[in-house]
Amino acid sequence: MKLYKKEGNIIQVLSFPTENAEKGDYLMVEDADAAKALIVQVIDVQFAAVPGVLEELLRTLPDGGEPIQGEDIDPLEIAPHITYIQDASLLVCKIRATLENGVLSPSSSWLPSRSQSLIRKLSVPALMKLAKVDGERPVILGGTKDSSLLTVDATDLDGTLNIITGKKGCGKSHLSKLLMASLVGYKATVVIFDLNGEYGSIGMTNDGRRNMYYDKIYALTPSQNFKVAINQLHLNVVLGILVNALHLPGTSAREFKRIWKQLKDQGKLTLADLHEAIRSCNCNQHVRDALASRYFSLVNSGFFTDNLAEAALLEDSLLKAKTQGGAIIVNLKNTGNIDRQIIVEYVLGKLVDSLQAWKLKAVFLFAEEAHLYLRETYWDDIVTRMRHFGIFTTFITNQPDTVQETIYRQADNIFLFNFTNEHDLDVVSRAARVDAETVRSIARDLPPHHCLTLGRVVRDFPMVTRVRSLDLKTMGETRLFFAAQK
Amino acid sequence: MVIEQYTITTTPKYNFPQPTPDTPLPQRFLELSINSLRQVHNTPLQINPQPLLHPAPTDCPTQLQLKRQPLTLTPNHQETTIAAVDTSTIKIGETKTGIIIAIRGATVQRQNRNYHYTRLGPFIFHVTEENKNAVYNNLERDCFHSPHSGSYRFTPPLMQMPTRLASLLERWLQTRLARTANNAVILFDGSLTSGTIDTPVYRMREILSAARRNHNTVLAFSKATSMRINGYLITDLLPQGEAPYLLETLGLRFKPPTVPLGDVYVARLHKANMAFRLDIDCEIPTQSRMDAVERLLGNDALQNSYPETLRLAHILCTFTANEVLAMQHFITRRHGIQIVNRPDMHRLLFGPFGREGYA
Repeated sequence: MKLYKKEGNIIQVLSFPTENAEKGDYLMVEDADAAKALIVQVIDVQFAAVPGVLEELLRTLPDGGEPIQGEDIDPLEIAPHITYIQDASLLVCKIRATLENGVLSPSSSWLPSRSQSLIRKLSVPALMKLAKVDGERPVILGGTKDSSLLTVDATDLDGTLNIITGKKGCGKSHLSKLLMASLVGYKATVVIFDLNGEYGSIGMTNDGRRNMYYDKIYALTPSQNFKVAINQLHLNVVLGILVNALHLPGTSAREFKRIWKQLKDQGKLTLADLHEAIRSCNCNQHVRDALASRYFSLVNSGFFTDNLAEAALLEDSLLKAKTQGGAIIVNLKNTGNIDRQIIVEYVLGKLVDSLQAWKLKAVFLFAEEAHLYLRETYWDDIVTRMRHFGIFTTFITNQPDTVQETIYRQADNIFLFNFTNEHDLDVVSRAARVDAETVRSIARDLPPHHCLTLGRVVRDFPMVTRVRSLDLKTMGETRLFFAAQK
Repeated sequence: MVIEQYTITTTPKYNFPQPTPDTPLPQRFLELSINSLRQVHNTPLQINPQPLLHPAPTDCPTQLQLKRQPLTLTPNHQETTIAAVDTSTIKIGETKTGIIIAIRGATVQRQNRNYHYTRLGPFIFHVTEENKNAVYNNLERDCFHSPHSGSYRFTPPLMQMPTRLASLLERWLQTRLARTANNAVILFDGSLTSGTIDTPVYRMREILSAARRNHNTVLAFSKATSMRINGYLITDLLPQGEAPYLLETLGLRFKPPTVPLGDVYVARLHKANMAFRLDIDCEIPTQSRMDAVERLLGNDALQNSYPETLRLAHILCTFTANEVLAMQHFITRRHGIQIVNRPDMHRLLFGPFGREGYA
């Protein structure tokens, strides 16, 4: 390989067919005289502009488009050399860092010697060693092209905002399960909004046996094994549900607050008493109607109960998970849109309460297709306020434009699967920790189950990985009509 | 005694004569090529050498006249093989003692509306003042078993060696084609003028006579001619009339030792207003000449009045920049010749005014 050109932080390297470099590979451009090296990543592979190639191609097709037949008597065997030159490629590479005295810096301000520089491929383990991507809590994401493992540190997911995105069927949920299981393995508390009911069996292996996570999985299905006793609710949690999920106006919310406090003081905080209090409330008819309609929404959700015995408290699961680690899976599969929002408001409100009271240290929250249940204002809450409380969110989506731009700008890690749509790639490339060229060029060509990892976990060295398989019972496959008929 | 002949092998589509893999000339070319390259092992090579010196054009005949009455032609679609030969040469670089050149030849045949080519080479030679006699004379002797071969007086100057070696290969290919084709129209690039330093009369006579023995007709097309009448190029003096046609020339006299072995015509073979000098073997009866051109018209595509078969032969043997790079790569890898970029003196002295072609 030979250094050909440098423009800004892009360099072009001339590569010959035997050198076999591909998109995503890392190269080291070593200038021995300068005692420095550039670490660059191949973001595109093009044909080298070899003079005469057009003529070469044209003369093989002069006969009305049909290749002309014949034989070449080439005793000196020049033809392989012609092919060698003709198939030379130009590697468009992004400068990621400069290596000087064994220390990496993000500088690209110097120019290595074009004639003297030695260019060689840099293996992922070697790069990870240079970048000091190691730690006490390794998480093996998967295998790289050079048959090495990409191992990140779970600590780098701590206190971060993460996004897992890619088009459907490419393995997003699989990666989120891998991250979740790894975090649980390190005794972290994980809460999952399980939109499709696919995380519930994570405690089982593929063949139906219990796995090491079995005792740490708390699958909560609203209205079934997950109900909330009304008298155990905090007023701010209920108001959050009414205002944010059920859109209760301010005047009505004030009246509700008064009723709630009155019932609480009287020790009569039950669904029946709440209904009676609303019905007999001496207030404007419209306010009474508004309160009544929200009351029936709460009751109809089946999520609230007066019976303490059937109320499985989220708090209990959280406390269990706090000591040994665990995953609280909130199954939202069979819930309606309004009910879903009620449940999410409740869970988030409860988490904030627990974290504020230091009942919990921190929680890793995995939110699948969050736009389906997260209100507008929560996006900012999650990336700013809730992070300070200790809620570290991972968004999982196949529609990147449904995640707000502010989320991308502040994302610490992005796990990007294949996208072919330009619009989707544009959205993802707004992330602060990634350059648009890398996203557009590499993500477009990612095969299924391959992920481009960007951000803090890889020290800003984008890495392509084939996500490793898990011995977990997955339920995320799409149900097919014709599957049984095959 | 081994008879030099082409083997005929049947392919699913074609039945063209093919040279045997061990025909003497390519083997001899190969041996001389490798021997010459061995002499420059680990020698620096300059890759921006001065352009080749082309041989001076032959003298123009005097008292030349052009018949104004065109000989109109009618395409004859009787199945006829059209065959063409061309060679090409290029200088790859200069060493301290000489030059490195490459030559390649191609024959193309059109039969049953299909083209088939055979390409020989490239052969790469390192030619120096010391070895040029050996290279040229040995090749000439091996090609033609000529009694005149091996004589120092026939060896060309160093800078003319590329064209002269290419010319040797071209004459050899023409000879092979003339001997192996039957009832074909054979197309040469250039003229049938002989007696020049690279085309001795006896050699061209041999080629033409071999062709006639096999009932072939040789037609030689010149892409450019210097023949003028009253100051005008003969190919510009086209009468009004429907193409295709030929115009006969009269009064063709060359200064000795140049001998024309063909009669010269102006051929306008397509409605496009372009014409070429066409030399036809003068030993062939007039009617057979007309018949050969008509069979060419009926069996080959003629874009811009130039036969496609000959165009392909030219295209296939011409070196592209990519191939030059590949040959430089070959001699670097196989023979350890280092490529150095010596400064171009014109550029160095005159900057942007030192370009090639500026006087």
